[in-house]
Amino acid sequence: MTQNRFPNPVLDAVRHSLGYESGAPLPPHPLLPSARAAGTPQAEIALLLQEIDKVSGHTQQLTTHNLDTALGALVETENIRTATVWNTPTLQCLDIAGRLKHLGVTLVPPDAEKHTLAQCDLGVTEADFAIPDSGTLGLLSGPEKPRAVSLLPAVHLALLTPAALRPDLHQVFAEAQHHGYLILITGPSRTADIELTLTLGVHGPRELYVWIFESPGE
Amino acid sequence: MSDTPTTPIEFRRYTQNLSPAIPIAIQQATGQFFEKRNARVAELPEWELLRDVGHRLRLHTLEHLDAYLEQAATSLSAAGVQVHWAMNGAEANAVVLDIARQHNVKTIAKVKSMATEEIALNTALQAAGFQITETDLGEFIIQLAGLGPSHIVVPAVHLKKEEIAQLFKEKLGVEAPPDPEQLTAIARARLREVFLAADMGISGANFLVAETGTLVMVTNEGNGRMCTTLPDLHVAVVAIDKVVPDWESLATLLKLLARSATGQKLSTYTNFITGPRKTKGEHGPRELHVVLLDNGRSRMLASPLTRETLKCIRCGSCLNVCPVYKQVGGYAYGWFISGPIGAVLTPQLLGTKIAAELPYASTLCGACAEVCPVKVPLLDLLRHLRRRVAEGDATTTPIVSPVLRGVARGSAIALGTPWLYRLGARLMPLLQVPVRRGNWIPSLPAPLNRWTMVRPFMPFRARFRRWWKHHKKNE
Repeated sequence: MTQNRFPNPVLDAVRHSLGYESGAPLPPHPLLPSARAAGTPQAEIALLLQEIDKVSGHTQQLTTHNLDTALGALVETENIRTATVWNTPTLQCLDIAGRLKHLGVTLVPPDAEKHTLAQCDLGVTEADFAIPDSGTLGLLSGPEKPRAVSLLPAVHLALLTPAALRPDLHQVFAEAQHHGYLILITGPSRTADIELTLTLGVHGPRELYVWIFESPGE
Repeated sequence: MSDTPTTPIEFRRYTQNLSPAIPIAIQQATGQFFEKRNARVAELPEWELLRDVGHRLRLHTLEHLDAYLEQAATSLSAAGVQVHWAMNGAEANAVVLDIARQHNVKTIAKVKSMATEEIALNTALQAAGFQITETDLGEFIIQLAGLGPSHIVVPAVHLKKEEIAQLFKEKLGVEAPPDPEQLTAIARARLREVFLAADMGISGANFLVAETGTLVMVTNEGNGRMCTTLPDLHVAVVAIDKVVPDWESLATLLKLLARSATGQKLSTYTNFITGPRKTKGEHGPRELHVVLLDNGRSRMLASPLTRETLKCIRCGSCLNVCPVYKQVGGYAYGWFISGPIGAVLTPQLLGTKIAAELPYASTLCGACAEVCPVKVPLLDLLRHLRRRVAEGDATTTPIVSPVLRGVARGSAIALGTPWLYRLGARLMPLLQVPVRRGNWIPSLPAPLNRWTMVRPFMPFRARFRRWWKHHKKNE
């Protein structure tokens, strides 16, 4: 930044007030506190599930053996008729779409038009990151991972493997900052705008299911 | 939706005709938020360290705002965002109107944002014939009612569920029971149509990361995601003080923000948007504009004291502890921002002619400065602004004259040193002889006569330590 590349009144006014010339050297900013240290994988998983439950999510630890039972129960409890599923390798490998179809659910492609996705009862995604300490999931986006799948359907199911665990925001940010989009999700959509009564599902999904696979690809 | 005040804000007059329902509702909200905030803060042994880092980080950014703004603008452009600069609200509104006209926009979905409230963007867009809907549930309700927000986080907290049901019946034509869950469901269905139909989404931003040009938005309801994901066009109005250097700093500020605002470890949805979408199937806007708004902030940067106001990250925790705010609610402050931060920001943005009463809307108890996650010196600012009310906006002296400061420092030493204190206590009865008239000191010589102009003083009579010893013996 050796030359004034944005000649404009706002920057000029800021410089005038601060008494700096354009291109003044920038000292390093204050040191930040170190990030939280991770516990053992088992402890981290337990903490993640506990924190997600605290913010009104539903959690479960699964293996491929009881996946069909879990999906069946979900379809029945939430009365799922149409669903959309991200096209990620893990979700394809687990054949979530096929299993749902087998349960009589109609499937819509995840990159469908917004009005179509808004009619879906269930959106299935895979979390890229999970922060146990706050019960937070981190999702990136891409052609196989459209953003509205975790937003428009009434129920959001996020699957993850222990590989997604990160001890703190700092690690998530270090990896995610060069992607065009990141969404951090901590529990289902909520509001307390009417008489401070906690109400779930005001605009986004009203239910959040988080299933963690202990050993992926078994 | 409060337009910029052009006549003096009448804080006192407003508080005289206050319905008792307001303090009751406000105190329920502030009590709940503060309790949750305290629970979250207690879990974090390093909270004070985090606050200190937050403070130094914000101050550092403001001290070098020119460089960080330039970096932010470069990164935004590199990410494919169109950057606009606006010296004031009128310029910013004109930019947004231009973008909307160029894209032949009809309906707009909007996320609650302090910056757009500040510049009364909604009024400008409505006047130009655009249909604009506030999509935060509380904002949607008060937009229907034609009111302004009464709390920074829960804007419709002063309305009862029965009133909201009545409002929905009148304005939306739907029969609704006075039940928060069902009322929310009605609003959800209504606003879904708005989200899906909108040609343009308008938002603010909680932070703008200079390093990568990333917009960061924090919401709980998901309306922020809807407005910035579904329409093909997204415009964000961002005040220049929202810049943070990098993602490392952002992590620290996000931890402070969610805990202070609502007592959550993180808000339900935190969005990080760097540029428009890369492929259509990914969703997100095709075109993204950022309007960088000054509106008086560059002026505030000039003084080291007023600069500190801009550290604020809009969490609202100073409102939740303020004994004045808890009695009067948000309307009394006359503009988009209320509570202690409103009492210091409004006079700086609009001048003390318009906001003369606001620096006095405080007991100076100091609770606000104590909870502030980035240590905005609210008390120093309130005192400085009271001085400006008396002496005019040109005043730049921080708070008090060097003489008074010297006296204050001297008394602090005298009161804090036992032998000096004892010496003073012995000298006082002798020193007051010339001014004492019987049981009163009716007037003191200048400049101390300012005190005795209002009422006479009691003379200094006994020595407390001796009395205390005596008193204890008699027990």
